[in-house]
Amino acid sequence: MAHAIWSGAINFGLVTIPVKLFTAVRTNDLRFNFLHKKDDGRIFNERHCTVCGEKVEYADLVRGYEYEKGHYVTLGDDDFKSVLPEATQSVEILEFVELDQINPMYFDTPYYLEPEKKGRHAYALLRESLREANKVGIARVVIRSREHLAALKPNGEALVLELMHFADELVEQSDFDFPELKEKVAPAELKVAKLLIDTMSVETFEPEKFTDDYREAVMAMIDSRVAGEQIATPEAKRPAATNVVNLMDVLQRSLEQSKRGGVASRPKASAKPAAKKSASAAKPKRKKSAA
Amino acid sequence: MSAAKPGKTQLAIGKRTLQVTNLDKVLWPRDGYTKGDLIAYYRAVAKWLLPHVKGRPLTLERYPNGIDEAGWWEKHIPRGLPDWIPTVKTAASTRHEQIEFMIANDEATLAYVANLAAVVLHVWYSREPTLDVPDFILIDLDPHEGCTLATLARVALAARNELAAVGITPLVKTTGGSGLHVVVPLEPHYDWDMAKGFAELIARRIHDVAPEQTTLDRTIARRAKGTVYLDYVQVGKGKTYVAPFSVRPRDGAPVSMPIPWSEVEAMSRKRTKTTAPEMTRWNIGNVPKLLAKDGDCWSEGWTPYRLEPVIAAARSHWS
Repeated sequence: MAHAIWSGAINFGLVTIPVKLFTAVRTNDLRFNFLHKKDDGRIFNERHCTVCGEKVEYADLVRGYEYEKGHYVTLGDDDFKSVLPEATQSVEILEFVELDQINPMYFDTPYYLEPEKKGRHAYALLRESLREANKVGIARVVIRSREHLAALKPNGEALVLELMHFADELVEQSDFDFPELKEKVAPAELKVAKLLIDTMSVETFEPEKFTDDYREAVMAMIDSRVAGEQIATPEAKRPAATNVVNLMDVLQRSLEQSKRGGVASRPKASAKPAAKKSASAAKPKRKKSAA
Repeated sequence: MSAAKPGKTQLAIGKRTLQVTNLDKVLWPRDGYTKGDLIAYYRAVAKWLLPHVKGRPLTLERYPNGIDEAGWWEKHIPRGLPDWIPTVKTAASTRHEQIEFMIANDEATLAYVANLAAVVLHVWYSREPTLDVPDFILIDLDPHEGCTLATLARVALAARNELAAVGITPLVKTTGGSGLHVVVPLEPHYDWDMAKGFAELIARRIHDVAPEQTTLDRTIARRAKGTVYLDYVQVGKGKTYVAPFSVRPRDGAPVSMPIPWSEVEAMSRKRTKTTAPEMTRWNIGNVPKLLAKDGDCWSEGWTPYRLEPVIAAARSHWS
């Protein structure tokens, strides 16, 4: 189970529901390290100053904001701390709105909210009332010291907190040259286009059908390098070591001997391979269970 | 559990009534799970757990003071065992004296042992009335230091492939610790030595096809780093294995979970350095829910095999 990002609460009005926040998206990005081609050494970056040429330690860095070409205001850690949102660890619901009222482009990253034990009932109540009202909560939430706008939505058994873009983050459509809505299309053309859509239509959307082929191909390549062909495939037969053959002979013989019925028994024959003998001589004194 | 006051609570389960105590006692200090949670868990999974433990002598691993304190194994029936819980008197190995074991056949018994803070349930490889005949064997895939999750999973998949070649579809479960158990159900027709020999044969065959990733060496110091130890010596009279759906005394309260092979395939693609975190994915908190949704994936796969055709097939496929 993943670690909670925080334990806090959903708040609205006088109601408090204790919850834990979990990320709901797995990042499947391929991650590589750069290595030196000739010896596989890991590469590390050094920071050098363009004024004095000296190597700069991380502790000696400040952040500069270039407000005009070549001119900076600098901000240190304390400056950022002073404007940091209070780490409230809560989902503060500000208002409720019908889901259709929100342009889906505003939604960004989903998180799961899991109720603490004593909040389960209130959690279920909020989830069901949102579902019945077909509404979502609009909330403020602090995640990793950044404040976000978010929508609280019922989703199956869960309440999902979906982070949203602020209005000024979305690029205006008017910045582009799209055909106008009243652009003329001939009914015949429309009919043909709709027919095409019909033939390519499916009943339900099954996201599992679509996979990241590039990622899987690269991973398969990596897997085969890691395995180095040492794990046998069913086709790739390997000769059995002699003790496997011996053991099979012994088992076969004892099965045949006990064919007359009753419990089949393996004789404590000296046909056991030597390796086994020394192993079983060292009977464990420990109380060990297969675990 | 709603009756949260320390002290005593009466539980009515079926036609049994039993007293449970100290429900608020925290057994997993870093997760906050209590004895009440343990009792609730074993009751919730009873329907799926019982088929795996019914009729089998039961050994309890008890942690009354939580998992940070030393626990102990209890083979002999606990003091004050209610008279409605069946017991069986038998030798705990081929040599030892007779021991009276308890047997868990119903939900009330599971609640009773959970109330004893029996976190782990260990059961025999055989069941009443044929205690001298095992009805499955097991290979314990135990990752040695430095073994990655992918290596462990690939060795398990190699075991599946090799067994498929001789007509067996094995079952697999997490141990709840760091490894996997590969299980082959048997017709109750073969004695301990035969079963042991068969387990050894499988282990040796896996080692033959994956010599770099596996070891059969019982001396820990001699095992190569990053390998999987194939333990086949756990099968035998009086030997036990961790029952499916048993909890383990580890952080996160992991459960020994029967899983479909697709889960092992998924593990083989992960790049986790150690195996234990993956195994905590199945725990006291989510297993009842998973079972209610998907059921026990072993219930349909538990097909007992006869060894005669298997050994015959092995002679042509494994040599």
